[in-house]
Amino acid sequence: MQVVQSNLSNKITGHIISSMHSPIQNTDICSWLHAVAKSRDKSAFTQLFHFFAPKILKISQSKLSNKTLANEVVQETMSNVWKKAHLFDDAKGAPTTWIFTIMRNVTFDILRKLQSNKEDNLSDDIWPMIEMAEVEHEPFSDHLEQKQILSVIDKLPQNQQEVIKGFYFMEMSQDQLAVHLDLPVGTVKSRLRLALIKLRGLLGVNND
Amino acid sequence: MINHHPKIDLLIQHVNGELPASISAGIKIHSDLCTKCNNQIIELTKHAAKTCLGSQELDSQEFAAESFAAQDHDEEYNFDAQSMINNITEMQAETELNIDETPLSVTFRGVEYDLPNVMKHMSLGKPAQIGKLSRSRILLDEGHIHSSLLRIEAGGSIPEHTHKGYEITLLLEGSFKDDMGEYVAGDFIVLDGKHQHQPMSELGCLCYTVVSDSLHFTQGINKLLNPIGSFIY
Ligand SMILES: [Zn+2]
Repeated sequence: MQVVQSNLSNKITGHIISSMHSPIQNTDICSWLHAVAKSRDKSAFTQLFHFFAPKILKISQSKLSNKTLANEVVQETMSNVWKKAHLFDDAKGAPTTWIFTIMRNVTFDILRKLQSNKEDNLSDDIWPMIEMAEVEHEPFSDHLEQKQILSVIDKLPQNQQEVIKGFYFMEMSQDQLAVHLDLPVGTVKSRLRLALIKLRGLLGVNND
Repeated sequence: MINHHPKIDLLIQHVNGELPASISAGIKIHSDLCTKCNNQIIELTKHAAKTCLGSQELDSQEFAAESFAAQDHDEEYNFDAQSMINNITEMQAETELNIDETPLSVTFRGVEYDLPNVMKHMSLGKPAQIGKLSRSRILLDEGHIHSSLLRIEAGGSIPEHTHKGYEITLLLEGSFKDDMGEYVAGDFIVLDGKHQHQPMSELGCLCYTVVSDSLHFTQGINKLLNPIGSFIY
């Protein structure tokens, strides 16, 4: 058993190392999902498994602090990927988002079973997979604006991203940001100011 | 118009599946009626997905070595990738979608109210009545967090009270007001121990409420106080 496991981990490690040479793209993941959807392609699924399972395992180990349950999350999530691949539509969102929602739903139901002893599997009612995708397709102006802001934020220097994300997503005050980032308030203020100037430029907003 | 929305910190916990079912269901009811929050949830989900599963660096050599090598020392722990793959690929695809569209409903004083979709697999306790108030517990079994459906008949009010912990009220139908203002269907109202209020409904209303004692809910909120760490990186 020990030997088998160690071979396996070498195999997985080896796969990951080799994958680092040519980073896996969303388009790879999409084509694997399509292959699974169309022809139940086991080797495409194996690729998906090697890409996602270690990440899912790591996240669920930290969330559940229980190895058996963490395994269950991997098993359940990847089973859903296999069984529902035909429901994935790359026009409606990134494949990682799709797999993330499956993982989140599976984890939620397992945690609820653990904490409330309920097997009502509410996650599909709270986060319906299909409906989510449909809504995402509607071109709301708010949505586009936010999407644009997010993609533009990623273009800022790292230290400006930190403050702008804290400000934008967390609605944190400059003082709170200073504490959390362990920076003088003055630094937070100037980074924020620089980031906002840059954002305005990138978004083409008038500086008035 | 909807004026009260869940705060961004709650939305972040929501997309990460970290809230109790009762609160996430409340957020779902709200976001079905609120485009702004719905879009925010979509963006936050994308972002969380990218953070959790997107980066190439995450499954670097380091993690693989750490995580999988550690398992070799742990005899109880078997992560057998190949047999999991074999096992899964034996399964049938789920080509049929059996979406159960039968909504759950509640009857108070002979009037039947259809409840939001998110509640369709929840079960309700027997309605109880005091004066112009009717209540039915939602049997979610969340310990210190109690969820209910509350119906206030026209002209009814809830006696002045303060909240020991937190109270989330989701207005499903009708309207009510308190000294802080008027609320309409879809409003997501969070009150804590600092508030003292006496909600009153002129024309009657139906609410979804989640009440918790302070301890656990505050812990959840406290968890948010290091949000940059957990969310962005
Ligand atoms: Zn809203």
